[in-house]
Amino acid sequence: MAIDVKGVLSPLSAIGTLFKHPKTITYPEVKREFPHGYRGFHINDLDACIGCANCQEVCMNDAIDMIKSDKEYNPKNGSACIPRIDYGRCCWCSLCTDVCPPNSLKLDKECIHADSSGDNFLYMPKNEKDIS
Amino acid sequence: MDDIKKIVKIFHGPQHPGITGNMSVELDLIGETIQRAQTHVGYLHRGFEKLIERRTVVQGFTIVCRICVPEPDPNEENYARAVETLAGLEISEKAKYIRTMVLEMSRIAVQFMWMGGQAGSMGLGLIPQWSVCDRDYMLDLFEELTGGRVYHMYAFPGGVRRDIPEGFLGRLSKLLDYYEKRMTVYDNTFFDNTTFKARAIGVGIVKKEEALKNGYVGQTLRACGIERDVRKDMPYLMYDKLEFDIPTREEGDVYARAMVRRDEIFQSIRILRQIIEQMPSEGDILQKIPKHRKFTLPKNDVYIQTESARGAMSYYMAGDGSEKIRRMQVKGPSLIHGFTLLEKMLVGSELADVAMIMNSLGICPPEIER
Repeated sequence: MAIDVKGVLSPLSAIGTLFKHPKTITYPEVKREFPHGYRGFHINDLDACIGCANCQEVCMNDAIDMIKSDKEYNPKNGSACIPRIDYGRCCWCSLCTDVCPPNSLKLDKECIHADSSGDNFLYMPKNEKDIS
Repeated sequence: MDDIKKIVKIFHGPQHPGITGNMSVELDLIGETIQRAQTHVGYLHRGFEKLIERRTVVQGFTIVCRICVPEPDPNEENYARAVETLAGLEISEKAKYIRTMVLEMSRIAVQFMWMGGQAGSMGLGLIPQWSVCDRDYMLDLFEELTGGRVYHMYAFPGGVRRDIPEGFLGRLSKLLDYYEKRMTVYDNTFFDNTTFKARAIGVGIVKKEEALKNGYVGQTLRACGIERDVRKDMPYLMYDKLEFDIPTREEGDVYARAMVRRDEIFQSIRILRQIIEQMPSEGDILQKIPKHRKFTLPKNDVYIQTESARGAMSYYMAGDGSEKIRRMQVKGPSLIHGFTLLEKMLVGSELADVAMIMNSLGICPPEIER
């Protein structure tokens, strides 16, 4: 029976990888950079949000509730309500940002949130002005 | 009576490292040889087809990518094309090129994941470590293009949601150069590996006549010598303008299917290089479509097929004149392979070969159950 010499010897070339630098990053010492346009957490420019609830209407998971805002950010916000996202239901499809007429609701690169209380996953988008 | 005493019944899955998802295969064994196999699915049924009936056309697009977890893009493409056909929407040439590019990128990513599963099912633990890492580089490009690594939600009825970022085609080209060099490493450690050949040659054989009679698709068909591919037989998007071959083998066994997949990686790289060269610099990426409550589908139905990395993926979609989809039926390549083919093929096989055969057929339980 012929011996498959190539088939026996060629896998041994894998030994060379023992001396190569690993491709993984040592998280959390090294943090990963997310690209521009990554669909992360919501941010809302409250000075532009008009409380129209288009986002709530289009959301197919019923993840968005319109909540009375604590103060008047935009006099044109007739309902005085701003969106709050349930991150237990949101699938980050970003349809809500697509239908936002003043383009105030957006998705940021931020995507890490850890909390011991489930109530804190009813997420109020940060004001875009507070981030920039 | 002695034989009955010797039969051992075991469940291969639904929690098993050798299963390509959550399904189980009930095996009756005498020793290590399988006498009878019966698949049990239902662990991953999420009711997608019913979910979509209760959503508008625009909302439904965000759901379909989750039908097949490792390969969302053919689902998005099928959905988008079905809605476009029903609604009479024409998309621009640039959008067609971009969608073709996304499908081929997805094909390469899935083949790398398959390599990991196939090698891992035989105990070659090194290959999954490498192939999942190499797949991650493609997911990095998807993340940049679509905003998400796995669930892209990018191919939208009317075109695509975002334009290509600046420099994206250059980065894609560099990745393709890397993959071409990298395949030599996979050839040395996996495809030419005598262990893999000894395990895979002559195992899980599918005969040509049986494949045609039962409607097998994808690599299962092509590894029997039948050159069938939806991209050639019923071209869509830009496939009729691109040059590529359909790799085939004659033996019909696990090794032949693996080699067909390997060759398809090179064909996808060839297609992507042509797309990079031919991509139009101008053109609308998304046609103007009505708002989601006003986007109605006429009372009509359509049947759309896309060649996914594992075979022909088909959608039947029917509209009823309202803004909701009346019916959408999904038939993936795994449905026939996971039931008809697997139950027959496993009879007479060894227990140790079950995982290997399942991986070679590309069975994806999420897609069987929807």
